Formats: sequence, C-alpha cells, structure tokens
Amino acid sequence: MLEIQSIKKSFGKNTVLDGVNLKIEKGDVVVVLGPSGSGKTTLLRCINFLEKADEGKAIFGDIQVDLHKASKKQINTIRKRTAFVFQNYNLFNNKTALENVTEGLIIGRAIPKDKAIKMGKEALDKVGLSEKYNAYPSELSGGQQQRVGIARAVVLNPDIILFDEPTSALDPELVGEVLEVMKTIAKEGTTMLVVTHEMSFAKDVANRVIFMDGGVVVEEGSPKEFFENPKEERTQRFLRRVLPEDYIYNI
Amino acid sequence: MEKYFDATYIWESIPTLIPYLKVTFIVAGLSVLFGSLLGLILAVMKLGKNKISQNIAHGYTTVLRCTPSIVLLFLIYYGVPAIAINFGINLNDMSAAFFVVITFTLQFGALMSEVIRSAYESIDKGQYEAAVSVGLSNTQAYWRIIFPQAFVVALPNFGNSLLELMKEGALAYTIGLIDVMGKANLIIAGNYNSHALEIYIGLSIIYWILSILIEQFFLKLEKIFSKGKKNLKTV
Amino acid sequence: MSNGLDFEFLIDTFFIALSGVPVAMIITVISLLIALPLGFLLALTRINKMPILSQFSRVYVSFVRGTPVIVQIFIIYNSVPLLLATIFEKYNIQMNVYDVNPIWYALIVFSLNTTATLIEVFRSAINTVSKGQLEAAYSVGLTTVQAFIRIIIPQTLVVGLPNICNATVNLIKATSLGYAMSLPEITLKAQVAANASYNYIEAYMDIFIIYLIICSLVEYGFKRMEKRLRKYKIAPAA
Repeated sequence: MLEIQSIKKSFGKNTVLDGVNLKIEKGDVVVVLGPSGSGKTTLLRCINFLEKADEGKAIFGDIQVDLHKASKKQINTIRKRTAFVFQNYNLFNNKTALENVTEGLIIGRAIPKDKAIKMGKEALDKVGLSEKYNAYPSELSGGQQQRVGIARAVVLNPDIILFDEPTSALDPELVGEVLEVMKTIAKEGTTMLVVTHEMSFAKDVANRVIFMDGGVVVEEGSPKEFFENPKEERTQRFLRRVLPEDYIYNI
Repeated sequence: MEKYFDATYIWESIPTLIPYLKVTFIVAGLSVLFGSLLGLILAVMKLGKNKISQNIAHGYTTVLRCTPSIVLLFLIYYGVPAIAINFGINLNDMSAAFFVVITFTLQFGALMSEVIRSAYESIDKGQYEAAVSVGLSNTQAYWRIIFPQAFVVALPNFGNSLLELMKEGALAYTIGLIDVMGKANLIIAGNYNSHALEIYIGLSIIYWILSILIEQFFLKLEKIFSKGKKNLKTV
Repeated sequence: MSNGLDFEFLIDTFFIALSGVPVAMIITVISLLIALPLGFLLALTRINKMPILSQFSRVYVSFVRGTPVIVQIFIIYNSVPLLLATIFEKYNIQMNVYDVNPIWYALIVFSLNTTATLIEVFRSAINTVSKGQLEAAYSVGLTTVQAFIRIIIPQTLVVGLPNICNATVNLIKATSLGYAMSLPEITLKAQVAANASYNYIEAYMDIFIIYLIICSLVEYGFKRMEKRLRKYKIAPAA
C-alpha cells in the first residue's frame, strides 16, 4: 500500500537518511526502533513532506511521487491520505479538543459541520475523552493532549497514521494511557507506522519491527525474531543496552 | 504678580481640555491605522527570505528607534515640504496634523514591525505542521491556526505601543497642533504664564486616566481572546 | 529659503550640536546611577508586598508611565522653583530661584522617570530569578544581604539587561526634551544655531545623526555586554 524507495536526506554535511526502503501493507503495524539520531523521525517527516527529502520515491496505492520534486497537488493528496501524531502533540492552542479534531474534517475535507462534530465526538469518546470536548489544550494533561492528537488523526480515516515518538514527551505515569489507545486502534486494523522507544509496544502490538541506525535500515523482521534472535551485531548491542531497563519497568 | 499654587485651576482646566482629546484621538487613530499597515509590511520584509529587504526593514527599525520623537517631528515638518516642493507640490499650508500623522505613522510602524515579527515567531512551528498534516492548505493553516494565535500574543505589546504613541503624541504641540497638550499651552499663555503648574497637573490627570483606561481595555481584550491560552504550559 | 541643503551650515552646526553631547551624557549617566539602585529597591518593595511603600511604588509607576515625559518636565520645572522660593523665603536665603542651573531640574525629572521604568524592569527580572536561588544561597550560609549582592542582583542584571538597554536609549532620547527647561543639550544648541538663519532642516539632520550615532553605540555596547554575560544565564527549563 505504501512503498518508500531509497529515500535520502542530509542536513548540511550531516547525512540523516542514506537510502532507506520501506514497504507497508494495509493493516500493518510497523514499529521503527533505533538510537536517537538514527533518522527515524526524519523518515516519518519526509513521508508527510514536513521535511523535503533530497531524493527518493513514494508509491502510495495508485500514485507515484518523487519525494524531492513533488508538486503541491501531490503533497496535498498524500497528506490527505495520511495523518500524523506528533511528539509534542501540537494541538492547536487556540481551539478546543473537539475543534482540534474537527478542524481537518471541516476545513481540510469540507465535511458538513454537524456531521464533523458527530464524528469528532465519536473519536474523542474512543480515546476516552468524552468529558473533555470543550477543554482547551492548556487545560489538559500531556496524556490527554496526546489522546486528542490521536483522535485528530483517527477521525480523518487515513490510509496510514504516522506516529512520531508519541509518548516520549510524557511523564512516565501518563505513557500507559496513550499506548492503550494506540493498541485499541491497532486492533481495529488501522495501518500504523510508529517511531517509538517503547519496547513493550513493539513486542505486543507490532507485526513488523524495523531497526535503523546511522540513516539505514539495519534489520527488520517480526517482533519475535527481532527480540529473541537478532541477527545483526548492531541490533544485539542496541537491545542489550535498552532491554534491561525494560525489564526493570516490568517488575 | 501672584505665583502661588491654586488648586481650583486644576479642576477648572480639565473640562476645558477634555474636548480637545478629540484631536488627540483622531491623530493617534490615523497614525495607528497607517502605522500598523507599515509595520505589517516591514514585518513581512523581516520574515521573508530576501536578504536585502530584511536589511532595509531592520535598518529602518534601528534608525527610528534611535530618533527622538521631537527630532523626527521637526525633520518631517521641515523636510517633507522641502522635498515636496521639488515635485511642484506646495505643502506649506498643510495643517500641522498632517505632519504629526506622518511622524507617528513612521514611528508606530517601526514599533509594530517588531511586535508583529516577534508574535509570529513565538508561534511554534509544530502548529503549522499539525495544520497541514490534517489536510489544511497553506493559506488555511495561516489564517485559521497561526494568525489567530499570533494576534493574541501581539495584543499586549500592541497596547503598550499605543500608550507610547499617545504619550509621544503630546509633542505635536511644538509644531502647532491644538490637541489637549496644545490647548493646555494656550490656556497657560492666556493666563500670562501664571498657574502653569496647575494646568499641567490637570493635563497629567487626563493623560493618566486615559492611560489606565487603555491599559484596562487591553487587559480585558486579552482575557477575551486568550481562551485556550490560560496558564500556557510548554511541554 | 533655498531648496538645496546648506552644507557649510550642516557641518558647522554638527559640531555645535556635538558640543551638547556632554550635557546629555552627564544627565543620562547620573540619572541611571540614581535610578538603578532606587528602582531595584522599590521593585523589592513591590515583590515583597511591603505595606505603603509597595502601594506608593505602584501609583508612582502608573503615573510616570501614564503621562508624557514633556508634561512631567513642565510639572517639575514649574513646581520645584515654587517650592524652593517658599523654602528660601522661610529661611531667609538670599538666592534667586531663577539662577538655579537647569541641569538640576533635568536630573530630577529624568531620575524620577527612569526609576519608574526600572522598577518594572527589575520587578519582572527578579521574578524570573527563581526563589530556589535565594534558598540555595541560604542553604550554604549566606545572609540575605550577601545572597542579594552575590547571587540575586548579578542574575537580575543579566536577565534585565535588554530592558535596561531600552531604558537607557529612551533616556538618551528623552534628554532631547531638555529644551523645555532651557538645558543646553544637543537639540537646543542646534535649534538656537538654526534660529538665526532658518536652516532648520540642516539643524535637525545634524541632531538626527548625532542621536543615531550615540544610540547605536549604546545598543552595541549593551549587546556586547549581553554576550559576555550570557554564560550566567541558563535556558529556562522547557
């Protein structure tokens, strides 16, 4: 459904993506792991044109786009088929939770207002925020804000939702509620590409794990293979460093 | 010659002065209108990519910030007609208000360009990214998400600049504008320069109350518009 | 009056106006020397909500910031002689109030005015220096005075520096109103020179250039200082 071919991106002399390929089928939940600075976030941002790739191609169902030379119209088409969940939530500060969720429907997709409001309320109900329709972002906790952010993405019914480290700005005690919501929408068959540091989410929810380091994909496979039997030396080192902590959390 | 303080002059001067606030308001209003427009243009230049127009806008702001109002006022008052005459336009009979409005438009424009620029820059880039990620167009993202937030940020500074303008505007009397300040000087001249202190105290009371009212008005406005901005916490 | 500029006059008057710079600078520096400590102390009265003094500072700031400087000048210029005359009469001092050098009036006006500005500058600056700094100072055994002199004041100055720079530039510009007190500063000197020949444009261009130079230098100086002091400031916690 979505295929990314040899995407490259540098910031000045610093090469962040050095030819990454990626293929996602409908219903996939793909988790991208890797040390910070490995290019995971940039990959996501390039797919949504928040960053302009230096080269690379995206095949999105029936359309093919050059990631470097995409036209405005192509960018808009792809953005309408995708949704993005940001690390810092990026809720519209001047709008209520419900308005945040309906903005893309009413303005971006010209859906009638009353219908959009109905859809928005359903989306907020789904993430457990029925009480907070009219709250402004400043009145919500980080976890609640991120759940609104997820509702804002889900309501658009996109082909794929891109999650950019959705829990790393949260206090530890708020991470659970957001992961729970993500698990729910994954179970409903939503296609998801998730950059995260949450190993438990990768293990329990993903059907494919991708490990990136230094701007390239080092290893990919099912979570079971990946965590129990990593092939690459770099992956093993990464897991050794990350996992013990994970066990401590689990106790 | 009696030179003693007589408070009755204060209370008598105030009702005489108040009608002349109209002139003060008109001149200030026009300067704010044109100045905001100029400020917007300058801010766009500063935020744009063109290095030359950036430098022009920044240079303009620096020069204006370094020029005392009274100096600018006289430069405009003497300079503009002198330049205009070269184009065959005679401005010597123009009312003082004309030159006052030009002066404070130029000054207010410089102030506003900084107010607008910093308000715009204070809005997190993520707001724009989120807007386009849910399918808003560029224009929609700016008009529905960025500008409304920048407006609220700019509001208090706009109010401060307005107060500044009102106060600096008092200097317009030096080129013969009869606003509250000009009228106060006329009253004093009519009294053969006695009881100047009382008249100036009366005048200062008018300005003081006016400033407090403007300040309160903007605080109210801020409260109305800053929904969703209460105790704004960054992550 | 001809259309062209009189360059000879322009240059002559430049130096005449320049001779007003020392007066403007003396007033600026002395006013700042008075206003900096006074503004800081009064800011403390507001932060600690000291009775009477706190209310006084509040009304004082509100009045000074709510009225034009030129009106403040006229009030001081007309009231101080009145007060002095009364005092001189009472104590039988043989001195004419009109012989008082206008620089004294200017110092009173601009110190009072700048103090009000700086109260607000320091109030917000002190508020950004966290309470933890004072507590930390106490915890290592400093007295309140020591804590302020060694920890709080230096940090406040750094935080407040950009606003102090603004206040200084505004003060320098405001000295151009000294003409209203017959103070022989930059503007008045050039004006007087222009009165004789009606070369007002040239005179005001000279004044304009001089203020531009002075203010740019002051801003540059403050920027340099800010850069050097930046290391004392940590980025506010995100």
